[in-house]
Amino acid sequence: MSDWYYMNVVLIQTTLTTLLLALSIQVPLRFGVFSFAGVGAFGVGGYGAAMAMVHLEWSTWPAVLAGTLAAGAAVLVLGLVVQQLSGLYMGMATIAFTLIVSVVAVNGGDATGGAGGLYGALGEITMTHIVLVVLAVVALLQWTEMKGLGRRIDTVREDPELANALGINIAGYRRMSFLVSGLIGGLAGALTTLLRSTITPAEVNFHLVIVALTAIVVGGSRSWIGAMIGAVIFVWLPTVLSFVEEWEKVAYGFIVAAAAIYLPTGVLGVAKDSWHRFRTREERARIAAALQETS
Amino acid sequence: MQDLLNAATLGSIYLLFALGMALVWGTIGILNFAHGATFMFSAFVGHMVSKETELPFLGVIGISVLVGAVISSLTQLLAFQPILKRSKSQHAAEMRILIGGIGVAAIPLALAQRETRSSPFGFNSSYKSEVFEVFGLRLTTTSAIIIVAGLAIGIGLTVWLRRSRQGLALRAIGVDAETSAGMGVNRPLLAFSTMAVAGGLAGLAGALLTFHLGAIAPETGDQLVIKAFAIIVLGGLGSMLGTVIGAYVLAGAETFVLVMNWGTWVDAVSFGLIFLILLARPQGLLGRKEVRRT
Repeated sequence: MSDWYYMNVVLIQTTLTTLLLALSIQVPLRFGVFSFAGVGAFGVGGYGAAMAMVHLEWSTWPAVLAGTLAAGAAVLVLGLVVQQLSGLYMGMATIAFTLIVSVVAVNGGDATGGAGGLYGALGEITMTHIVLVVLAVVALLQWTEMKGLGRRIDTVREDPELANALGINIAGYRRMSFLVSGLIGGLAGALTTLLRSTITPAEVNFHLVIVALTAIVVGGSRSWIGAMIGAVIFVWLPTVLSFVEEWEKVAYGFIVAAAAIYLPTGVLGVAKDSWHRFRTREERARIAAALQETS
Repeated sequence: MQDLLNAATLGSIYLLFALGMALVWGTIGILNFAHGATFMFSAFVGHMVSKETELPFLGVIGISVLVGAVISSLTQLLAFQPILKRSKSQHAAEMRILIGGIGVAAIPLALAQRETRSSPFGFNSSYKSEVFEVFGLRLTTTSAIIIVAGLAIGIGLTVWLRRSRQGLALRAIGVDAETSAGMGVNRPLLAFSTMAVAGGLAGLAGALLTFHLGAIAPETGDQLVIKAFAIIVLGGLGSMLGTVIGAYVLAGAETFVLVMNWGTWVDAVSFGLIFLILLARPQGLLGRKEVRRT
């Protein structure tokens, strides 16, 4: 067990940071906001933390905090600007934001290290730290999925008119989703950067949007558990698929396309459905047995 | 002036590429993210065939258009059609179509990357581009063909969509899919042929750009998808004329940035345009006003 742990420590860390990145896109989706700004926040957070460490010589956690807050603020402002857009238009505007972050990073001169990126921002982050941070984020999100708050969020997504009639401040909820998405995405970026000690503009690209999005869609988009399943699948897929070697990327494409077609609610949704069906079947069997006894 | 000519060539390539996406998105409501991969793979197949035998200009073009049409119709048949059938509403299908397209796009991209080791590829063709001068401007035959083809197809498609019965049926789907189906529009068949036409246009654009530049890389298609999105949003969804204008405006803006020597900012032009247009005029320059949900 511990051998396995030491061999795969990097993959485990990547799984956790990918989970954070996926969550930063999933949070707005749960509010019915089709926003990819979380990936831009990943870039802002990563660069913010790296700049704080390299240029200002801050220590690890203040730098992470700075990156996270900067990303949260940036995405909140973006949210205020684009809040009247909807659907695919919102999606593309936020993708544009993400790609602009990377173009700005290329042109940032000494501050961002240009096209080569920033080096030497090695933070003191251990596995325990990451696990604690992820647990805190997940606990917060679990709280937003439960009881009244969870139901209000579902209503804002599924039926905005109804939510409005119930006196739910839709615009407020949506703004909140941008802020949370930015903070989580920034956190993911800051942690990833300080673990690897570098960040380059090439990392904040369209591919990162795809990774996060597919993780959510394949895993399940309604709960953080879905994002978790997706992050595990896509971080570990390359090691599992190593037997197909050079066909790995082709297989990846097939899996994503098949998931979009056949798993509309993701792996989590399918699991939940079959659990429900299993439960109802048991329930029916029990009722049938009880009826036979009485008759 | 030379820059204007370059912008016109670039704009015509953008136009041929974006027209296919605009046609499919504006009518049957599918934002096809595999369009860039279709574009690239058509040229790639042309490259593979021309490695075996030397092909004339029209031979390469023919192969690319055909391959593009086949890939695109297969995508519709095997991915988008099943997704639409399994979705409750167009709105719910939007995101899954986007992701299905991304998944489909990954397959030809991976195949081409594996074969070329991610290095650019070109054609082995008997066709040689000639340079001639018009009013002191250098114009290659390829550029001339591209500009003429872009404008002709752009205008042709615009007129066809406005005047013909199929065009009317397609526009009807774009406005209200259910009612038009009730009025006797065969939606699946029309969707299928629209995707085939769009794929053929992508193949044409792919072959022409490869002739123009000498070679393209497997990743070229991905950047074009975002640019095409900017063009469609700029012109207005559902308006082919808007797409024509959008393509040349984007190409002009990018050429301007290059001429001003702000080369590293070139990628920001299309993203910036997307942003500005969405904020100032979400329906685009010539778009119809959409009925919006809250």
